[in-house]
Amino acid sequence: MTAQPRTTEGQPTRPLPVPDAVSSGYWEAAAGGVLTVARCGRCRAHAIPPGQVCPSCGSTDPGYGFEPVSGRGLVRSWTVVRQAFLPGFSADVPFVLVDVELAEQPELRMIGRLLDGPAAPGLRLGAQVTAAFEDVAAGVAVPAFQLADASGRPGEAS
Amino acid sequence: MSRRFAARGQVAIVGYAHSDVWRHAPRPLGALAVDTAREAIADAGLKPDDVDGFVTAPLFPTAGAHAVEDGVSTVTAQWLAEHLGVTPAYTSGFSGIGQLPGALGLAVGALSSGAADYVLLHRALHNPPGRYHGNPLREAAGSAQWTAPQGFFGPLPMIALPYNEYLQRYGASQEAMAAVVTEARKNGARIPWSYWRDKPLGAEEYLAAPMISDPIRRFDCDLPVDGVAAFVLTSAERARDLPHRPVHIAGIATAAPPRRRLPLHWPLDDIMAAGTGLAGRLWEAAGIGPGEVDLPQLYDGFSPFVYFWLEALGLCPVGEAHRFVQDGRIDSDRPDGLPVLSGGGAIGNGRMHGVPQMLECYLQLSGRAGPRQRERATVGVACQSSPHFGGAVVYTTEPA
Repeated sequence: MTAQPRTTEGQPTRPLPVPDAVSSGYWEAAAGGVLTVARCGRCRAHAIPPGQVCPSCGSTDPGYGFEPVSGRGLVRSWTVVRQAFLPGFSADVPFVLVDVELAEQPELRMIGRLLDGPAAPGLRLGAQVTAAFEDVAAGVAVPAFQLADASGRPGEAS
Repeated sequence: MSRRFAARGQVAIVGYAHSDVWRHAPRPLGALAVDTAREAIADAGLKPDDVDGFVTAPLFPTAGAHAVEDGVSTVTAQWLAEHLGVTPAYTSGFSGIGQLPGALGLAVGALSSGAADYVLLHRALHNPPGRYHGNPLREAAGSAQWTAPQGFFGPLPMIALPYNEYLQRYGASQEAMAAVVTEARKNGARIPWSYWRDKPLGAEEYLAAPMISDPIRRFDCDLPVDGVAAFVLTSAERARDLPHRPVHIAGIATAAPPRRRLPLHWPLDDIMAAGTGLAGRLWEAAGIGPGEVDLPQLYDGFSPFVYFWLEALGLCPVGEAHRFVQDGRIDSDRPDGLPVLSGGGAIGNGRMHGVPQMLECYLQLSGRAGPRQRERATVGVACQSSPHFGGAVVYTTEPA
């Protein structure tokens, strides 16, 4: 599922990511609809976010590469955001943010929009989700999630 | 190796002052800080020239794009000393989270090392014009690229995620939190300088207020304010010659860095893991346990912190805080109530960032709490921030 931006003409746009030397691979993959996570080139552990020092092996030169992940994960928590503190979200509130533990590694957690919306009936702790993307500008997609069935396929709620 | 607090009982609070708390003060923050400092120094029976040490934690805790200007949106130790017209031997600022425990650590170090004889510790909080956390961010660079593009920003979703994780995991009701918020506002309504003076809050009003970031409602959040508090500290030995009964510092603990996460991503397990670590170090430092604390003043910048501190400090079992706070068990008006918010907290005073907790420990243990003075108050704990990022201090009436 890909959601189109709901900002209208004249409204401010959402903050756009600024890819850097480390993150450019992540944003390139996202634009193509693929979720990737940084992996340490030394110990192969995943890291969110990719910091200066690998949290698993302590390398100060982790040489991160962004590698595709399944996009599957479990909901660890969520919130319904009802006030926008950043530009470009006024038309989107209320929206759901989910704290997702990705399948690839214990406690590998990221936060994204749940595109099913605040009233999704299957939203609970441990619910299965799969990666989705929001197209926020030409060539820019932001990773998000949608509820899925046990096999990881998008569920009825989407 | 023992982690007993080597300076236990050697340093004491000997005076204080607190400005009125406003949504927006009629005068600049720096001028308020100078007035409050002079008042605190006089309260301790001293003159400005006696004070040779100045410490603070100057953080301006906004996610907004507001300018930070010394004397206007924050007041550093140097600014205050200069504008009091004194020449201190020691000035310092704590830059971490858990501002008051951190600044207090600097004060204890200065006094026990002999770098200063009398230290003024102050905290000045500012509410800028416009939205406190509103930010016109258009480009998310650096660490913000991992969170801002999807709208994860600022402290409301930060606290809403672990609070909802708590509710879901333990089957707690959102209504249970009314006991915490109404207790804070009941006590804050009695504080002369509180923004919420004479404005207690009922449970119905708490629950009827709008959600901001579910399950966080409006009154789960402290209100940004302008206000200044100042404390005077000296050695236990010098304190004996001063007018008020001294309150001694028995131990300080700060949180160890939690697991690395996205900015402002605070999973419940991270909070509790680092928080229980902090609590263990606190009890070891002070040589006491949670059962000996008469006055556990818990941090409540967001109401769920009260649950997290109750459980991290071992004042109730993990997962039970939402039940523990019911039926008057944290009602400070009841002799058998555990007074966790008797000073009104941040929810009952305004965003004074740990000041209400520290001040209530001082007032009760020095016998200066007025009409709300408790019969038995010899050991207090003042907490600040989240258990996994902040700190806590044990205060005692006796030096050891």
